[in-house]
Amino acid sequence: MKSYRTEPSWVPWLFLFPFLATVAVFLAWPLAQSLFLSFQQTYGPRTSAWVGVGNFDFLLHDPLFWKALGNTALFAAGSIFLQLPVALGLALLLNRPGLRGRALFRLVFFAPSLVGLVFVGLLFALMFEKRSGLVNVLLHAAFPAFDPEFAWLQVYVMPALILSALWLYAGFNMIYFLAALQNVPAELMEAASLDGAGPWQRFRHVVLPEILPVVSFVVLLSLLGSFQLFELPFILLGGPGPDNRGLTVVMYLYQTGFVTGDLGYASAIGWVLALIMGSFALLHRRWLRREEAS
Amino acid sequence: MPTFFERFRAGLQITTPAVWVLLLLAAGSSAAVLSRHRHRTEGGVLWTFSRTHAPGYEPVLKAWNQAHPKNHYELVLLDYGALENRMLSGFLSGTPVADLMEVERNIAARAFTGPLEDVGFTDLTDRLKAEGLLEKINPPSFSPWTSRGRIFGLPNDVHPVLLAYRADIVEAAGIDLGRVTTWDEFFAAMRPLMTDADGDGRPDRYILNVWPTDMATTEMLLLQAGGGLFDADEKPALDSETDARVLATIATWCAGPGRIAVDAPEFSAAGNALKLQGVVLASLMPDWLAGVWKTDLPTMAGKWKLMPLPAWEPGGRRTSVQGGSMLGIPKSTRDFESAWALAKRLYLDPERNAAFYRQTNIIPPFRESWSQPVFDQPDPYFGGQPAGRLFIRQAPQVPARTSSPYNTLALARATDVLIALADRASAGRISDPEALIPEARRLLARAQAEIQRQISRNVFLRASS
Repeated sequence: MKSYRTEPSWVPWLFLFPFLATVAVFLAWPLAQSLFLSFQQTYGPRTSAWVGVGNFDFLLHDPLFWKALGNTALFAAGSIFLQLPVALGLALLLNRPGLRGRALFRLVFFAPSLVGLVFVGLLFALMFEKRSGLVNVLLHAAFPAFDPEFAWLQVYVMPALILSALWLYAGFNMIYFLAALQNVPAELMEAASLDGAGPWQRFRHVVLPEILPVVSFVVLLSLLGSFQLFELPFILLGGPGPDNRGLTVVMYLYQTGFVTGDLGYASAIGWVLALIMGSFALLHRRWLRREEAS
Repeated sequence: MPTFFERFRAGLQITTPAVWVLLLLAAGSSAAVLSRHRHRTEGGVLWTFSRTHAPGYEPVLKAWNQAHPKNHYELVLLDYGALENRMLSGFLSGTPVADLMEVERNIAARAFTGPLEDVGFTDLTDRLKAEGLLEKINPPSFSPWTSRGRIFGLPNDVHPVLLAYRADIVEAAGIDLGRVTTWDEFFAAMRPLMTDADGDGRPDRYILNVWPTDMATTEMLLLQAGGGLFDADEKPALDSETDARVLATIATWCAGPGRIAVDAPEFSAAGNALKLQGVVLASLMPDWLAGVWKTDLPTMAGKWKLMPLPAWEPGGRRTSVQGGSMLGIPKSTRDFESAWALAKRLYLDPERNAAFYRQTNIIPPFRESWSQPVFDQPDPYFGGQPAGRLFIRQAPQVPARTSSPYNTLALARATDVLIALADRASAGRISDPEALIPEARRLLARAQAEIQRQISRNVFLRASS
């Protein structure tokens, strides 16, 4: 009988060590530390005072936090109810059989997402500039009564952010939808057509159910991405904007932790944000299970 | 079957040359970083954030290093944000910082957030008293560097504010601003210049460069009026009749049927274009900004003149203040005495102050320097006026400012109030500030409560105040 020599019992641990050490140092320890910090008030990492649930209590009554949450939720709503339908519409257009120049259109629509948030922020800041910005120049040329000094980035801050993100991400999300649409079985579409279904009925009863898993995935990604919004308003507005009209939760976290130096309160904001995002993921998971079951 | 160790050794043997190259590069770069750190600690280091200040310090440091070969200093110019981050990292976490640091007002205030004993700068109060410097330096210049009664920096400047106006246009129109003493008189005199020559229904020129989103100008005007964001005890003071009146008035300048203001921000191409096109007729002008304009708008030389700011009421203050920097000596400095001696050499030398003015247009706070002839020389940029002397005449009246780390926050809230008032003036076509004052009081009370709430939760300020 052939005999096998077994390795010492610690060998698997040796191979697991790099992974475990990395997780412990870069994930578990910072998480534990940030949870601990959220119950403290800090002045940098060396000076701290235990405040119990004081940070969370302050946060619940902090008008700036609620304003940031409201702005972030508005941006998320813009992403889901404006950006994703536009992305889906573009994907449906590009998925039409016999369309010429499909690759070119795909590249054109996708190209904005190659340039990055910082570039988009700068570009739209210039476009929305008073007097000399492209938007005001064109509007004034078309409608002379339009005031070329109109300050878009002071009056319509969130719409400007949503519009910039639409330009940036619509093409990116379109790729997901296009991939899903190309996997809809052609025979199903044919059968629906033979049964007399019109374009809307085919979309509603055949296409949508087939691409629903991808749609739900993109919705979740957009939701999570929206709640992490930071760079775009930071560049476009140079901060939270007038009257904090562009303040987002992550920007408030950054300001609190790295501008004011209160890492404790910033950690509390971070944990509340994590809870919000975790709830989205849980709800999505539940919904997905229910859909699979039905 | 090979044992684990045998396989491990075999693994080492098949290590490719590329891996060894990477290992060598890692070791080499680590050694380079370590040696650079050792080199740094041999002499002192002076950090500054200002591209315009640095050239003025170089000859002083050169002379210092020749005189003190064993105690030389190296000047390092850092980006504003980098200096702020490195200063805070040093003070909060003990990472290396310079032996002497020139910091701007908003950066310095960040060092005053925690307990007094944790402020990273050396307390200079007793030293300034002992050397009689408190009397020799313009008193308001200490205020931004004073926290809870202790002074943590040597001031670089006074930064008095005058009003720059388009003398070529004003004089051609036969307008005499010599008798103007208040803002109301100023606008009444200048209003004929707000004409619509191109017939587009909008004035081609606006009287004043001020806008609700311009926090710096808002603060200047609040301080000039005797209002402000904090009182002498560093307690929030936004909710005052003066602040409400000033903000309500600025709102009617910027919006509504009585608009006379335009938004031509500094350091921006769009803002400078408006000045070059003649859209801006007057602008608040701190001494340092005069230096910036000479560099950024050289073609406008001779077109501007300076006058004291019109007051809010007859007999009121004719100046304000904006900006400022100090030299601070971190507690971790290698040699306090040499850092202090160099700081005095840089800031408290009349000849050097004169040279610094020539280069930057900055008025020194060291009063012995004010008699230097350079301040009486005609300035061609301002129509041959002795610009230095005009600024110095206002220097003693410059308002004191807070060093509160919450100043930026309070100013942001005051700006929010002003934006809301301007929106109201625009929507309601309001031109009378009186109609906005009740709303201003309500919004300021809310803003003050918010700032107070933020300050109250700072256990460190509470413990050491």
